Amino acid sequence: MKYKTLLCLTVILTYFNINAQSRAKGLEEKVQQLTDMTSKQSIIPLNFNKFKEYVKSPPRDYSFIVMFTAMAPSRRCTICQHVYDEYLVVANSFRISPSFSDKLFFGMVDFDEGSDVFQMLRLNTAPVIMHFPAKGKPKPADSMDFERAGIHAEAIIKWIQDRTDIPIRIFRPPNYSGVIAFAMLFVLVAGFLYLRRNNLEFLYNKQMWAAIAVVFCFAMVSGQMWNQIRGPPFFHRTKNGPVYINGGSHGQFVLESYIVAILNGAVVVGMILMIEAAGGVKGTDINRAQDGKRRRFQSVVGLVLVCVFFSLLLSVFRAKTQGYPYR
Amino acid sequence: MTVEVQSKAKLSQLTSDKQLTFIKLAVLSMAAILSFATRLFSVLRFESVIHEFDPYFNYRTTRFLTEEGFYQFHNWFDDRAWYPLGRIIGGTIYPGLMVTSATLYNIMQFFNITIDIRNVCVFLAPFFSSLTTLVTYLLTKELKNEGAGLVAAAMIAIVPGYISRSVAGSYDNEGIAIFCMLLTYYFWIKAVNTGTILWATMTALAYFYMVSSWGGYVFLINLIPLHVLALMLLGRFSARVYVAYSTLYCVGTILSMQISFVGFQPVQSSEHMLALGTFGLCQLYAFTQYLREHLSPANFELMFKALLTTLLATLGTAIVVLTVTGKISPWTGRFYSLLDPSYAKNHIPIIASVSEHQPTSWSSFYFDLQVLVFLFPAGLYFCFTRLTDANIFIILYGVLSIYFAGVMVRLMLVLAPVMCIVSGVAASSLLSLHVKDIEPKVEKHDKKKKHENNLVFRSEVGALFVCVLGCLLVSYVFHCTWVTSEAYSSPSIVLSARAHDGARIIFDDFREAYTWLKMNTPQDAKVMSWWDYGYQITAMANRTVIVDNNTWNNTHISRVGQAMASSEEHAYEIMRELDVDYVLVIFGGLVGYSSDDINKFLWMVRIGGSTERGAHIREADYYTGSGEFRVDAQGSPTLLNCLMYKMSYYKFGLVYTEGGRPPGYDRVRGAEIGNKDFNLDVLEEAYTTEHWLVRIYKVKPLPNRGL
Repeated sequence: MKYKTLLCLTVILTYFNINAQSRAKGLEEKVQQLTDMTSKQSIIPLNFNKFKEYVKSPPRDYSFIVMFTAMAPSRRCTICQHVYDEYLVVANSFRISPSFSDKLFFGMVDFDEGSDVFQMLRLNTAPVIMHFPAKGKPKPADSMDFERAGIHAEAIIKWIQDRTDIPIRIFRPPNYSGVIAFAMLFVLVAGFLYLRRNNLEFLYNKQMWAAIAVVFCFAMVSGQMWNQIRGPPFFHRTKNGPVYINGGSHGQFVLESYIVAILNGAVVVGMILMIEAAGGVKGTDINRAQDGKRRRFQSVVGLVLVCVFFSLLLSVFRAKTQGYPYR
Repeated sequence: MTVEVQSKAKLSQLTSDKQLTFIKLAVLSMAAILSFATRLFSVLRFESVIHEFDPYFNYRTTRFLTEEGFYQFHNWFDDRAWYPLGRIIGGTIYPGLMVTSATLYNIMQFFNITIDIRNVCVFLAPFFSSLTTLVTYLLTKELKNEGAGLVAAAMIAIVPGYISRSVAGSYDNEGIAIFCMLLTYYFWIKAVNTGTILWATMTALAYFYMVSSWGGYVFLINLIPLHVLALMLLGRFSARVYVAYSTLYCVGTILSMQISFVGFQPVQSSEHMLALGTFGLCQLYAFTQYLREHLSPANFELMFKALLTTLLATLGTAIVVLTVTGKISPWTGRFYSLLDPSYAKNHIPIIASVSEHQPTSWSSFYFDLQVLVFLFPAGLYFCFTRLTDANIFIILYGVLSIYFAGVMVRLMLVLAPVMCIVSGVAASSLLSLHVKDIEPKVEKHDKKKKHENNLVFRSEVGALFVCVLGCLLVSYVFHCTWVTSEAYSSPSIVLSARAHDGARIIFDDFREAYTWLKMNTPQDAKVMSWWDYGYQITAMANRTVIVDNNTWNNTHISRVGQAMASSEEHAYEIMRELDVDYVLVIFGGLVGYSSDDINKFLWMVRIGGSTERGAHIREADYYTGSGEFRVDAQGSPTLLNCLMYKMSYYKFGLVYTEGGRPPGYDRVRGAEIGNKDFNLDVLEEAYTTEHWLVRIYKVKPLPNRGL
């Protein structure tokens, strides 16, 4: 019994001893280790032990920004990847920015490697970006609100500056994909023209240009540019099944704009059929009965197309605009 | 009565040719009158007032111009705005609008028609849209024929995309600029078709008018060179085009540089470089043609190669040198945002935040254009089947402007005229084709028995189609009238609402407050408000403001934002620094007017905190713990004690606003305010309007020593 107590005491003593030692050497060494890790990788991957050691245990004079996320494909967290990209931009920018110091470190905890950390902090969702200040415990404002601020690197930087007073200038690696795509397109077109250099007549083909112009019109009128800039969802899923048409007059879905483009297109095809049926623009008259039959068919189809699709379009528009009095 | 009978008698005596002319005239004048009349909804519902914000500035400058004369106007340094900085008006505006209305006013005065300058301003935009109708007729006539011209004129008279910027009272640059633009196009088409220097000079003059009235002239000066380039590529470049473009470029550029706001931009900034380059290319092209005629082919080849290399080398070096030395200004952000739609979103928040700069969704296209959306592609198809120089121009104009309208909702204004022109071509061709089918039915039916079956059927289909097209056009008329009356005819300076019993209530608080300021404050009083109301205060109350809608100085605006967002003591320092005498806030909590200052408050916080001196203002402090913006008891204490909150809700806690609600219930935010019982230390309430929409406070002087 006595021995046991002694043993216990020794164990405790040794423990405290070790603890005190680690504390004593703690701060400088920890900062040194963190700086080393940061120089290798701008975001430090953390597991439970590392998290406790560097983020939770007290001797600290640095702030720690930690992202809690679930990157494994099996977790099916698509937004995690976006947030990670932006977060990486921030961390990289910090490493090369003039305000770089050992007062701020960036870390990351993946759910599959550090689920204990999630339990410890009672986190149910991912991704979360939290700030662990040098002194004191994190306040509610120390976890970033994506819903309000957004997930862009600029927003993250603003939030970091808010919390730590360390300004970071953003530096995005230039995006070459657009340039490459453009160059590819240019090479393709140039190559095509070169291959057909003896026969460039097709460039003067009016029909082709007319078709391009008209299709371009449909794309613009149905709001593809809006889609390009705003990036709306393809369509909306609700409890009562999918919704294809956005109820407000200021929003639209991608699918909705396709539907509208098709409706518009059908009306215009109807009109062009009517033009052709009436003898075309040149106004040639009908000579043969066969020709007449074809044109009769054309004009009926054209008429039906115009009527049906125009009323469809009108009803779609009515659904979007409150108080629109005409059917 | 007798006159009518006479005219009827005359009409029947007229030959069919004259009848046709008479009908044309009648349709055209009716379209012109209609375009004037349909823009008068707001005048009939309210009264003849200037709308919104920017028009008030234009109105004030016009008044100055008529009172003081052009030279005074040109050298005007305005000390009423941006106190204590002031603003040089003459060099920072497009004067075309003011000069136009002043000229009209003087002409009327000369004929002893006594009309107020305000009425000239109110009715200027409808008047110019009548003129636009006529120009559209002329332009479409050049493109197709008179019938198409009439249809296009009737369409542009009521197209909502254009009405949105030209109702009576919206006295803004765009109102006359569209007229100038179409006039320039008309003269340009004329010049290209005839190749005379006269028409080209007319084009240059119209272009000068356009430059003097709207910044959107950049679109025009890029479109015309594009047309010339397209003609070159298609092998349609001729002496006519050469004469037209060379004259236009030389005369037009020299004239446009006379506008002091434009200055040397036409030869320096990259937006104008396309025009300059095309001008050079024209000269080269003409020169090579000339050489080819006078030299042997071998010599010509050698000469051509030598010239080309030298030219390219010189041009390349010149461009590099000029860009490096900064003589060619980099492309401005607004122009970038047109070419690359995502540019503005990522780089320029001040462009992205303005609602007019948003992209256009399909429903706004339909809302502003209705049937034109389908008639336009059909019309394009028509233009393509018969390519002429003029048709190529209109195709280019249509495709370019539809792209720009897709990027920026504001540029719908540029798209609407070409939509009407091309749709007019389509509708009139469709109608004439099918009406022709109906007419000869009787004769043909009798003469040619073998086609009997087809022809009868065809004429019926034709008749049906004419009916359908008629229905479409009628629905267009109804749609346009509805849109004009519902969406584009509210002056926003006078508000109206429906009471429970359906009676109309008019809120005229803005003018009440501005009149109070004018009558009851000293001449040199300085009024602080958020920048939205700056133009109105200077124009209507004639008092000095700290910031106004010409948002050129961000730090100054930020300082005002800081004052609004700070606590009373801190705000007092800022107000003393800015030498403010009165503070004006817009408050809609009593009547439920939602675009008031509390709802704009977060922008004040953001802009206030965006500069160095506003570092103490943090947006997060104005939210509750869970990140909401609330004015009730759970709202953040910083918000509940800032100057804007106190000014808006001073003594509001004693007022019953809705039955069954506690006193101090804010009807916009739908909440009972959180801080009811407070006094103002550094301000005193000077005036509150009938519906509390505008509240004016006087800044107390420094307390006497020893108190």
